[in-house]
Amino acid sequence: MKLDKNFQPDRIGSYFRLEWLPLALVTVSGLVYNIGLLATPWFEGRLAQCLADILGGSATAAAMAMLVLAYVVVTLVVQAARFLKRFYVRRFANNINRRMKGILYANLVRQSRAALETEGAGELMTKAISDVDDCVEGMRKFTTEVFDTGVALAGYTVMLLVYDWRLALLCLLFTPVSYVCAARMKKPVQREGAAYKKAAGALRAATLDRAQNAATYRIYGCETAREQRYEDVLTTYEKTAVRSNVWQSALPPLYLAVSEAGVLFILWFGAKNVLGIGWSTWDIAAFTTFLSCFTKLTVKASKVAKLFNSVQKAEVSWKRIKPLMKLPKEFAPLAIPAPADVKLQDLSFAYGEEPIFSGLTLTAHPGDIIGVTGPVACGKSTLGRVFLCEMPYGGSAQFGQREFAALTPREISATVGYLGHDPELSADTIQNNVLCGSEQDAMPWLAAVALDGEVRAMENGLNTVIGSGGARLSGGQAQRLALARTLAHPRPVLVLDDPFSALDRSTEDTVFANLQAYAKDKVVFLISHRLYHFPQMQQVVFMEDGRTTVGTHEELMAAAPAYRQLYESQTGGQQHEAQE
Amino acid sequence: MKRRNKSSVFAAIRMAARAHHVLTVGTILCVAASVVASLLPPLLLARIIDGLTAGLPLTLWAVLAYFCSLALEGVLSSAQESLLVLFGQKMTHALRSEMSHKLTQLPASTLVDQNPGEVAARFSGDVDTVEALFTSGIISMVADACRILSIMAVIAVKNTGLALILLLVLPLFAAFTRHVQRRMLAAQLDNRRAVAAVSGQVPETLHNIRTIRALGTEAYMERRYDKRIADGYAAMERTNFYDAIYSPVVLLLNAVVVAIVMLLSASGNATVLTLFGMSVGTSVAIINYISRIFAPIESLGMEIQTIQSAMAGVKRIDAFLTQPERTIPGERQKAARGDVELAHVTFGYGEKQVLNDFSMTVHQGEQVTLIGRTGAGKSTIFKLLLGLYPPESGSVTIGGVPVADITDRERRTCISCVEQHFARVPGTVLDQITLGDPQITAEMAKSAAQLAGIDTAIRALPDGYDTVCSEGMFSQGEWQLLSIARAAAADPAVLLLDEITANLDAETEARVLDALRRASEGRTVLSVSHRIYENLGGRTVEIKIL
Repeated sequence: MKLDKNFQPDRIGSYFRLEWLPLALVTVSGLVYNIGLLATPWFEGRLAQCLADILGGSATAAAMAMLVLAYVVVTLVVQAARFLKRFYVRRFANNINRRMKGILYANLVRQSRAALETEGAGELMTKAISDVDDCVEGMRKFTTEVFDTGVALAGYTVMLLVYDWRLALLCLLFTPVSYVCAARMKKPVQREGAAYKKAAGALRAATLDRAQNAATYRIYGCETAREQRYEDVLTTYEKTAVRSNVWQSALPPLYLAVSEAGVLFILWFGAKNVLGIGWSTWDIAAFTTFLSCFTKLTVKASKVAKLFNSVQKAEVSWKRIKPLMKLPKEFAPLAIPAPADVKLQDLSFAYGEEPIFSGLTLTAHPGDIIGVTGPVACGKSTLGRVFLCEMPYGGSAQFGQREFAALTPREISATVGYLGHDPELSADTIQNNVLCGSEQDAMPWLAAVALDGEVRAMENGLNTVIGSGGARLSGGQAQRLALARTLAHPRPVLVLDDPFSALDRSTEDTVFANLQAYAKDKVVFLISHRLYHFPQMQQVVFMEDGRTTVGTHEELMAAAPAYRQLYESQTGGQQHEAQE
Repeated sequence: MKRRNKSSVFAAIRMAARAHHVLTVGTILCVAASVVASLLPPLLLARIIDGLTAGLPLTLWAVLAYFCSLALEGVLSSAQESLLVLFGQKMTHALRSEMSHKLTQLPASTLVDQNPGEVAARFSGDVDTVEALFTSGIISMVADACRILSIMAVIAVKNTGLALILLLVLPLFAAFTRHVQRRMLAAQLDNRRAVAAVSGQVPETLHNIRTIRALGTEAYMERRYDKRIADGYAAMERTNFYDAIYSPVVLLLNAVVVAIVMLLSASGNATVLTLFGMSVGTSVAIINYISRIFAPIESLGMEIQTIQSAMAGVKRIDAFLTQPERTIPGERQKAARGDVELAHVTFGYGEKQVLNDFSMTVHQGEQVTLIGRTGAGKSTIFKLLLGLYPPESGSVTIGGVPVADITDRERRTCISCVEQHFARVPGTVLDQITLGDPQITAEMAKSAAQLAGIDTAIRALPDGYDTVCSEGMFSQGEWQLLSIARAAAADPAVLLLDEITANLDAETEARVLDALRRASEGRTVLSVSHRIYENLGGRTVEIKIL
């Protein structure tokens, strides 16, 4: 969704402004509907009057036919307006919801990994996204209720005043009385509600305890005692639940009855009006209309509290979201640089005080594949991540003439292709996982990682959905799919962290051969604990205890006994069976 | 309350209804009264208007009667709500008690196999749906059906023609309602699925942020997120449409029916008037009744839905309540004190045999360490001694009493176990030791804590023994000491010592071993720990792997 430069995402008004069209439709249809609602009591009165006239002989059935026809047509128009209003209020809410979530998500996706993990930004934003629902629901209710309660109430009141203003004022006296009662009762209602929530929490905890620690209680023979305790919790829960629910559901009908007390005056003085001895002169139609109008008004009035509640709730969630609503920066297009050498000069890395490796110096030319290996926890993966510049390194690492640390994050994305341990697949189709929205054919990339045959055999081929995190694939399939995705986004420097660990030997051979052809104009750092292909690589980095040794495979075989031992244990004697 | 062996949801509810019969009858009466009360106001109004049409002045009584009928309607609907809440709560309480009791009756193997989260879901969510099944399902459905019938009856008397029209229209309307509700449900399910996809993308993005950054696919992810939201809205727009169209259709139908009746009653044709003729007052009442008959039909549809979805919950609770139970031993005269003996015991888990014709005797006061490889059956012997599982053949006895005959009440004084991993229970530190057992006094718990050497640490807490326990309150070694206090609290004759937690530093381990030595004094002790054996000595028994 494209946003205007002047759009201020932290101003609620901006959202209303953007949705002017649905809002305009809501306003028009809302007014038509709510004013039209007044027609119903008016017609009901006219219908009764007309029947009285016909029975009295002063009118004919034709008059009734006209009246009835008008009644149905007006109802049709009013209800059509209602349909439009409801439909567009929802659309208005949906659009705002979508826009707010889009902005939050855009901000989320621009966060660095460090910010997400260590500063808890991820959790914050996840919460904010769920807050959007509450906030927009409040905005929707507000927009709805402004018409359904506000306009309708005003309309009914005016109508009553027109018919007989003295009687109208008299009978409307009771509505405020019912409000005062409701306000008085608010405190105990809230108190009981809080007690109920607390008891519900206690019950949840006690239930989980009974289920979770059942075996422990059995061993110590305490189950009967626990059962008794649970019973106590249940009793408390029952008491608070009854109290809270009774307060909540039993009171509204009573408030309604209080405001209906105005009926007493309407009947008494209204009857006088009809008989011609009251404040105004009424016929039966006026009497019925007034009564029906008043009844509808009291029902509407009882819902005013809902309007305020929804606004309050929306405000609370908006306050939480607001600070996160920043206009997301536009991304510059990725400018993939031309191939160049990678020069490492006395490269080192430390997590805070703790050094991981140091003294790494090498130069790699486009077309080189550099093998990186060493025992578990030697810092291989850390070396791979140095190129992503998530944290500062020591020494120097250059791409062509430029230092990696001096590149913008966007330039790093354009320069370094990285595939970590975790395939980080998304719950989508195979095709979307490979292409990530780029417009090309996915099949060649799947062929490069020897996954094409398996994908073709799947029921939906490229459109097979792979489940959350690739749950429906085997480990080897997930690994190859992730590799295909990395290859489909070519970069001059490629860092692959153990991409073959779950592949069998012959698949690994095929994929490595394809990788060699693919990497003709790229520098590839291949981190691996399996060394079959290391003799074919231009250089090897061996890491052990924070030290790094660089050379060709042959040089290391001669110079580094630990490397030699590692290589021979994998290739010498029996061939290792790869595990898939 | 008498307990039955065979139980099911409906039996439990029937029992609850019988136990609270006054409430049950009161609820039914109140529902009935509220149905009748809602019929009154239009009838009284009809009379008032007829009087006015005839030019008669209004009596004060008529005014008061009308207002009272309105107030009565309010009061009764309020009372109905309250009673339904009360009735529903009594029912769920009874059902949860029944389920809690069932948990006590289940054999240990079932307890171990069950997923605590799932069991908790049976207790909470499923019980709540059963409550909904009764209060907002069945009872409301009956009330609504009565409401429809009674309004129809009044209409039939006042205006027979209208009743006939409604008999034609209402079934069609009911079918329309069900159709809309079904469509809405389907659309809601689609929407829920789409919403799940939308909310799934956020944690996925957090997880995959490195790849997203490396590939520079942020813009694609944004588009994808937006598209998923849009998909959700497409489904929602359907619900939206049905939702927006339903009420207008109802009100339009209402108007059409009113129009037809008014037209026919004004026709002046004598034959038509035998069916549709009415006074002015009645016409006002009739218009009022027509507007009241559509709402219960709409609710009826929702109630059918509630009942349908609640039946799944009923089935799940039934499955829980009908699981096979263990046998609960009765009271005995003879105390279970003396030698611990396993005689010709054969036992296995399913297919896998662990012990075959195994015999062993540990004399009273003796300290024995079981040795053998992992999986040889050392902890299985503990489970058999604790009576958690019955042996397939042979006997397991303490002082000649089969362990299966030891009641829950006396178990802790006969045999207890220091577990390897301390199971923290909700509550205070004191609760950790007593486990809520009323037989263990605070004094007993405190002396057990002294024995375990954890008393000083507990007294240092802000509220001492009454401090509410939380995760990081004690170190691993201290939890182990608490575990010893828990086992020793009831002064058991036989003590089983599981392996002690690894990863304790030397000083803490020495404290734990010291505490174990003090706790073992004067008791029959079986241990499986090599470290304890090195420390406490005693006899060893080797268990061979089968």
